Amino acid sequence: MAQSGEIELCHLTKRFDRTVAVDAIDLAIPHGSYCCLLGPSGCGKTTILRMIAGHETPTEGDVRIGGESVVGLPPVRRGTAMMFQNYALFPHLTVLDNVAFNLKMRGVGKAERHQRAREMLAQVRLDQFADRMPSQLSGGQQQRVALSRALITNPRVLLLDEPLSALDEFLRLQMRGELRRMQKELGITFVHVTHTQLEAIAVADMVVVMDQGRIEQAGSAREIYTLPVSAYVARFMGGQNVLTGKVASVTDGIATLVSDTGERFSSPLNGQVVAEGDVLHCCVRRDRVALERVRRPPGALPEPTNAVVGAVHAIEYQGTYVKVTIDVPGREQFVANVVDSKFFANPVDIGDPVVARWVPEDVHLLTTSGQAGETHG
Amino acid sequence: MPARRSNTSRLRLHHLLVAPFASLLLVFFGVPLALVVVVSFFDLDQFDIIPTFVLTNYVELFGSSLTYTLYANTIKYAVIVWAITLVIGFTVSYFLVFHVRPFLLQLALFLLCTVPFWTSNVIRMISWIPFLGRNGIFNQSLIALGIVDQPLEFLLFSDFAVVIAYVHLFSLFMIAPIFNSMARIDPAVIEAAVDAGAGRFRVIREIVVPLSKTGIAMGSIFVVALVMGDFFVVKIMSGGQSASVVLAMSNETAVLQYPPAAASAVVLLLVVTAMVVGILRIVDVRRELAG
Amino acid sequence: MLRPGSRRRPWTFYGLAAFFTLYVLFLYGPMSAIFILSFQGPTGGLTFPMNGVSLHWFSALFGQQRTGDFAGSFTRSIVLAVIVLAITVVVSVMAGLAFRRRFLGSTLVFYMAIFSLIIPGLLLGLGVGLMFQFLGIKPSWYSSALGAQLTWTLPFGLLIMFAVFSRFNPAYEEAARDLGARYWQTLWNVVLPILLPGIIAVALFGFTLSYDEFPRTLIPIGSRNTLPLEIWAMTTNVTSPALYALGTLTTAISFVAIAIALTSIALIQRRRTRRGTRADAGD
Repeated sequence: MAQSGEIELCHLTKRFDRTVAVDAIDLAIPHGSYCCLLGPSGCGKTTILRMIAGHETPTEGDVRIGGESVVGLPPVRRGTAMMFQNYALFPHLTVLDNVAFNLKMRGVGKAERHQRAREMLAQVRLDQFADRMPSQLSGGQQQRVALSRALITNPRVLLLDEPLSALDEFLRLQMRGELRRMQKELGITFVHVTHTQLEAIAVADMVVVMDQGRIEQAGSAREIYTLPVSAYVARFMGGQNVLTGKVASVTDGIATLVSDTGERFSSPLNGQVVAEGDVLHCCVRRDRVALERVRRPPGALPEPTNAVVGAVHAIEYQGTYVKVTIDVPGREQFVANVVDSKFFANPVDIGDPVVARWVPEDVHLLTTSGQAGETHG
Repeated sequence: MPARRSNTSRLRLHHLLVAPFASLLLVFFGVPLALVVVVSFFDLDQFDIIPTFVLTNYVELFGSSLTYTLYANTIKYAVIVWAITLVIGFTVSYFLVFHVRPFLLQLALFLLCTVPFWTSNVIRMISWIPFLGRNGIFNQSLIALGIVDQPLEFLLFSDFAVVIAYVHLFSLFMIAPIFNSMARIDPAVIEAAVDAGAGRFRVIREIVVPLSKTGIAMGSIFVVALVMGDFFVVKIMSGGQSASVVLAMSNETAVLQYPPAAASAVVLLLVVTAMVVGILRIVDVRRELAG
Repeated sequence: MLRPGSRRRPWTFYGLAAFFTLYVLFLYGPMSAIFILSFQGPTGGLTFPMNGVSLHWFSALFGQQRTGDFAGSFTRSIVLAVIVLAITVVVSVMAGLAFRRRFLGSTLVFYMAIFSLIIPGLLLGLGVGLMFQFLGIKPSWYSSALGAQLTWTLPFGLLIMFAVFSRFNPAYEEAARDLGARYWQTLWNVVLPILLPGIIAVALFGFTLSYDEFPRTLIPIGSRNTLPLEIWAMTTNVTSPALYALGTLTTAISFVAIAIALTSIALIQRRRTRRGTRADAGD
């Protein structure tokens, strides 16, 4: 099947009894791209994958692959292949017969299907394990068998449901690089479901962040990480501090915001028109925050600008940087990722009063509010 | 190839799959049961069934003091056997599930308990005769050990012998479902309870018993129903000194007294059903079985 | 306690182990006594001591003396058990598949099965006997008795299928469908082979429950007995060790059936976890 593996989801909806698992989603995944559906468990990402695969029927809306609607078609006629969460390798069949399963269903003779399955296994360097049973393989080997079994169908779309979750950390890092390389080589569309942010941005051309059955943001990994559109994405991706305040004044396209607790900070408006008193959300990257120890207790400081004042809550050494979490009275915790050389040149300790400063150019305005309004700001 | 198996055709498939099962049960269980009820209202004349509608069978059944004695006797057996098999079933399962490692040994010992279940009940019952008899192994051992001078008479052909045989035959029906329930308990739950400071018996009471209640209920249903429905153990092991409801019924059918036997069967079935429904009201077995 | 192998075993372990050992002795002790007694010498009686050791009572069984139609009833029992096995496996596997989803009437069928299981056997036999009498069909071991036994083996088969399916991961089916298998292909190539050990267990139950059944069979058996009915008749009129010889023989048959079933289950499980290279992948 050499057709296009472009996927379009049009108003796709899935309801189970009363609960809405997937809520009127529109999404286009270009042919030959690596797309990650990312979100917490229960956000609907696996349901979307299963609807693309044909293991779940949409309540409303359409799934189109290569420009044609596939709703109602059995999985095999969609040109998709799925890799299941714990691989679902058939325990009663050898590795070879697992890989050859699709050919057997299509009526290919024994000699030919074994020949082709062996070739497939050779590509993932598992040919010497062809006669083993799945339970005799390691997790990483099982995953490669599952991959071979799916790819022997010659799919235009490969669907991967949490493909790395059953592996230990070391293998996980190795296999995600392998997946990425494989996708480039095959040139087909990969749709990969995960709940791990770093996994998603490491492999994907396109990351789709989901929450409660809806898409929060879809874009390149770098966009999602550095230019989140909502407070939800900013918080979920983890690289940002979210700031909330009321517009006090606007000059030269830059707004000055005042938070509930009195801090003032500037945010570029990017052409957005706002009125005084509007509540805005913006964010600043954790690694663009500078930390400074103060001698006086926090309460005795003047109202800070483009800065927050608080006490160090936790310090986590991360190798290349140090993650410092700061308790700020009246708002959510603030995080500064300090380059390790800088940190150890002038270290702080838990409980120390500190000021965290940033420059207005590093502030990014969040255009959709998401659920930010409900949480403290 | 059909584009999609619609919900209705899938539903039809499920009905098709269950059809042979349901029809066989309907023909060989449903219809016969209905016939028993119908015949219980028929009259009897010199070994011939007369299809009329009379209540004589029931009137005679409830009018006879023998009926009440039989029920009292049968229910007595059921309660005693239920209590003993429950203790055995729970203890054996608890030992196997929580104290025996590795898993293969656990499975092997469980199979050791179940093997006799796959052999003949009659043979297993009569195997007690050389054991418990006046000159049986048990008495000879007791005399040899100097515990008694005279052989014990009450061992065979007595209530004692009946209960022993029941426990021997039916305890597996208690062990298997309880074992099955207990085996599904996550060991981490128990370790968590121990870590939380629960002693051995608190763990059993607060964790193991509640989580095995489906198995206990299933086992209880089996044992009660089996004892209530027995006639051969009572006949042989009591040596004719005791009787049960079904034994009386079987004596009637032996002389072709079908309508009175049917009336007795209907009453027995109502009693057993009431007991089973009572157990099912305490524990919803189906939800945990099929769900 | 409860921590495998981590500490010294507590006193409860030894208490429970003793209880378990006593229970196993209780289960097997009396049975082994009659196995020994069946080799009683020709002048020996129903209890110990043994008066010599011989196969006298076994040959008496085949000698057609007063022990009735042993060979005929034995053949009938085996044939009937095989028929019951076949029907039970096919019908209860199908029903087990159906019960994976709720369908109209599923609760009704479920309760019918449960009550069919717990109804006093003699009562069920009475009903089946009456039905054949009203229909004017002569009862026989291959019709009325077969039906009566199915009311006992089918619900058992269904309960085993419930247990089997509760441990079955539906992802295997989806994987098969994903790889192009249709419903029946999935069933034949994936579901049934994976469930094979459970299906063998159903077969074992079907065979042994039928082979040893007698309360349900007693009334609707017709003119020719099965082996358990023959034994039942003997318990009241045979007072020689021939009865024990028959018991030993029929138990040996049951043991053979159990051994075949358990060995094949063990072989299948071993094949799925075996080390080294394969023999042949089969098909």
